[in-house]
Amino acid sequence: MTATIYTGAQVRRLRRFNTGGAIISVITLLGVIFWAFPIYWALATSFKPEQDIVRPGLDLIPNSFTIEAYAHVLLNTNIGIWYLNSLVTSGAVTVLVILMSAAAGYAISQLDFPGRRVLWWLILASFMVPIPALIVNHFVLMAEFRMLNKWSGVILPQLLAPVTVMIYKQFFDSVPRDFREAAVMDGATEWQLLFRLYLPMNWGITTALAIITFIGAWNAFLWPFLAVTSERMMNVSVGITQVTDAFGVKYARDLSSAILAGLPVALVYLIFQRRVTQAIMLTAGIKG
Amino acid sequence: MMRYRRSDITTALILLIPFLLVYGVLFVYPTFQMVGLTFTNAPLIGEGEWIGFRNYERLWGDRLFSRAVWNTGYFVLLTVIPSTLLGLLIALGVNRLNGWWQSVALAAFFLPYILPVSVVFRIWAWMLDSQFGIMQYPIAAIWGENVPIFRTLPLFMPAVAFITVWWLIGFNVLLFIAGLRNISSEIYEAAALDGATRWQQFARITWPLIWPITVLVATIQLILQLKIFDQIYLFGQGGRTDSTLGMVELIYRSAFQRNQGGYGATVALVLFVIIVVVSVLQYQLLRAKGQR
Amino acid sequence: MIFKTMKAALVTSALMVSAAQAQQVVEWWDFLGGGDGVRMKTLIEEFNTEHAGEIQINATTLEWGTPFYTKVQTSAAVGEGPDIMTYHLSRLPLGVSTGALSPITADDLAGVGLSGDQFATANWEAAQVDGTLYAIPFDIHAIVLYYNKDLLGAAGLLDDAGIPIGLDSVEGFTTAMETLQTNGAEYGVSFQSAGNGTNWRIFYSLLGQQGGSFIDENGDFLTDDNFDKAVNAVQTMADWVSNGYTASDVEYPASIALFTGGNAAMHINGVWEVPTFTDLHAAGDLFEWGAIELPMFFSEKATWADSHAFAIPNNAGNELTAEERAAVMQVIAWMNERSTFWATAGHLPAFNAARENEEFRTMQPNATYSVLAETAFFDPSSVLAGVASPVYDAIGNYVYPAIGGEMTAEEAVTEMRDDLDNQNY
Repeated sequence: MTATIYTGAQVRRLRRFNTGGAIISVITLLGVIFWAFPIYWALATSFKPEQDIVRPGLDLIPNSFTIEAYAHVLLNTNIGIWYLNSLVTSGAVTVLVILMSAAAGYAISQLDFPGRRVLWWLILASFMVPIPALIVNHFVLMAEFRMLNKWSGVILPQLLAPVTVMIYKQFFDSVPRDFREAAVMDGATEWQLLFRLYLPMNWGITTALAIITFIGAWNAFLWPFLAVTSERMMNVSVGITQVTDAFGVKYARDLSSAILAGLPVALVYLIFQRRVTQAIMLTAGIKG
Repeated sequence: MMRYRRSDITTALILLIPFLLVYGVLFVYPTFQMVGLTFTNAPLIGEGEWIGFRNYERLWGDRLFSRAVWNTGYFVLLTVIPSTLLGLLIALGVNRLNGWWQSVALAAFFLPYILPVSVVFRIWAWMLDSQFGIMQYPIAAIWGENVPIFRTLPLFMPAVAFITVWWLIGFNVLLFIAGLRNISSEIYEAAALDGATRWQQFARITWPLIWPITVLVATIQLILQLKIFDQIYLFGQGGRTDSTLGMVELIYRSAFQRNQGGYGATVALVLFVIIVVVSVLQYQLLRAKGQR
Repeated sequence: MIFKTMKAALVTSALMVSAAQAQQVVEWWDFLGGGDGVRMKTLIEEFNTEHAGEIQINATTLEWGTPFYTKVQTSAAVGEGPDIMTYHLSRLPLGVSTGALSPITADDLAGVGLSGDQFATANWEAAQVDGTLYAIPFDIHAIVLYYNKDLLGAAGLLDDAGIPIGLDSVEGFTTAMETLQTNGAEYGVSFQSAGNGTNWRIFYSLLGQQGGSFIDENGDFLTDDNFDKAVNAVQTMADWVSNGYTASDVEYPASIALFTGGNAAMHINGVWEVPTFTDLHAAGDLFEWGAIELPMFFSEKATWADSHAFAIPNNAGNELTAEERAAVMQVIAWMNERSTFWATAGHLPAFNAARENEEFRTMQPNATYSVLAETAFFDPSSVLAGVASPVYDAIGNYVYPAIGGEMTAEEAVTEMRDDLDNQNY
């Protein structure tokens, strides 16, 4: 290892970077506080007694702390079953979408076949059609296939995920051609290219897309609402509407049920977040 | 024209079959049905009679339609470019942090994305409540009295746009971070040693190299926001909805509230055409710019 | 050989007999959450216990509003709807026009001993479209005037029985609010002045109190002097705001909080909030309060009302058998007989007998305002009316801004009338 010798001028420039960099970091951290505040405020409110919430004055930290709002939702509803349904349907949607989209994205990006352009436009088109236009059709179709009120019926229409394909295609496109050419010269088949080169190089985006897909499926409301008739098949976002109502002053109740609905996903994200950032960094590590 | 490689076609087929099945049944078929519906007076569910172009004539003269187009365009203007640029800036900022700080920062910006729209609505309706919202403290300090943000017409769209950006920025940030990580740090080091300023590094290295991602993000945001519905519906409900509705809300109203499936399909089809035209235009413009 | 056939026949008929006595499961959908939901669950459990082995209700609660009605319509169209559902009578015309509802026949009624004269006349009429019955009313829910007994007492506005006096007539009400504010209240009255819910209900009541009607026999809106009466109604409400007796742009939960926090001496809202105040009072968190029928501001008594009713969907290809229908009717009859308990949610039972018994007569505050059932003014019968309908939208678009002073009452009513007439085809 040779030591790097800087000139005086270069040292001065390096130091200037650090002040500029520090300012940027401070601004970022201020942004963090601002961004996180609404969620903090919702959390704080959900732990206050209802009467405290509408009393004049500002309690940034709850004066009295109560879990009554949460207890009501947890004890009086079938939230356990709803969690299960959400888990199964969201998980299935995520796995299937990732598999199908990576495959399709790869095919469109790297292979040459008749109808390739048409397919690409089709995918873009499906992103451009607004969902309310298709949802009744889906309902009639699922009714005909006798899939209403079943996991399969909830899952199927949610497999339409053009954005995932678009993103995969874009990231596969950005893999430098030298890698591909080198591997092809070594005699790699398309399958090997996909599984040994393109996918590994893009774990970061795969993880990100998996999270995004999971979140989308977990939060879906309109379709699961229409597709499911019995409470035992409801997912959290539908089931929770049974508890939230328009009566009285129920800010804490509304917010706590909202937080309970979103909690599992938030926890999963926070736990796996390190993995996410690492996976994204790994992508860079393969370079050179 | 070269012949397609046989192996390519077979591989492609295997990779694509499940995809094609799902898309064929759940997208292509329903879309054709939707187009057919536009020429009928069908209700939400069930058959209708053929009425030719009457739905389109009605759409042409519908003042709600022109309002909806205008509102949707305004909303897109307020969200697409700001959220794209902001996403990039935040990604740059977060990228610079290390270890624990980086995790915290990323979580803060991404956590809103995890929430369903109904929760976002509750949180912000509560924050901005005209009687008890915490944001009324700074607002009253500046304006002199509480302001019912969502019930004040000129403030409605900007407020909803702001909340939308707050909600969805995580998606953009994630994509940008993934893209930024693909740029080797050695380029930056070399440039730094050559005396490039921070701004020059950004303008000459980051910006051009991240351009394809920027285009992708902007396009996705554009199409997404052209389909805006939930936030405007939720924050506007009960109020001057005729003044604030977007195009998808018009579809929802016609089809679900008024039970006019044929007319709803017509609005949807026109919206679809608009989206195609606008997004293709934007995409081509941005791509051409990038290739300079 | 003959023995074998006879044995088979015996077994089959035995099976058929036991099948006829097997348990009927009634699929039930409602949109009742909160205080309503708790009470309905109790009722359903009670029914199921009493009818174990015969009829069981399998209940699902869904989101209130347009989602519920959309789901009913789509499910019925593919035969996947429930056997019985709750329904707002104000939505009946639209529901019938989509073919989602099954008419209730005279035989259905006779089978369980129900008839029209067991309900308030206006209520029974509201359950019919073009003379055919499509639903059986369960409750009447209206808006009432809640009041702070302490504040009104201190302002000298209560009689010996604790009932407010002098509120009937626009001037009387205004004077009362003036007095209350002089005595320290921030607002004379609070109500959800942002949006379309309460604004519609108060506006419609004021219209009815002038003898006006929203829609005429031809289905046209606010014709002749109904127009002026509507303008008058809007103006009255706008004056309350412009004179500072109530705040504009107040959202629903905030309007309640203003009352419970003592900032507003009176509060106009639906009867469904009675449990809220009852519970708060029982917990020691609320002042002495009461609720009375809406004051008679003009020449007649009238209060906006809607009605929760039971309806039977038209399940395409999957209609109810005679036994199933009989079971559903039994459920409806049983519920109506028990509707006094339902009234603890604040509503008025639609079933006359349930309003005339001792238990209800002593139920407060319901007994105080139950007289409004006689002058209940139900939503106009139109496919454009009802919960979450174009009529409601029109209120949000025109009447609400007028109340807040952004439009004159005349402009608002003109626009509203034209808007609704345009949608009438």
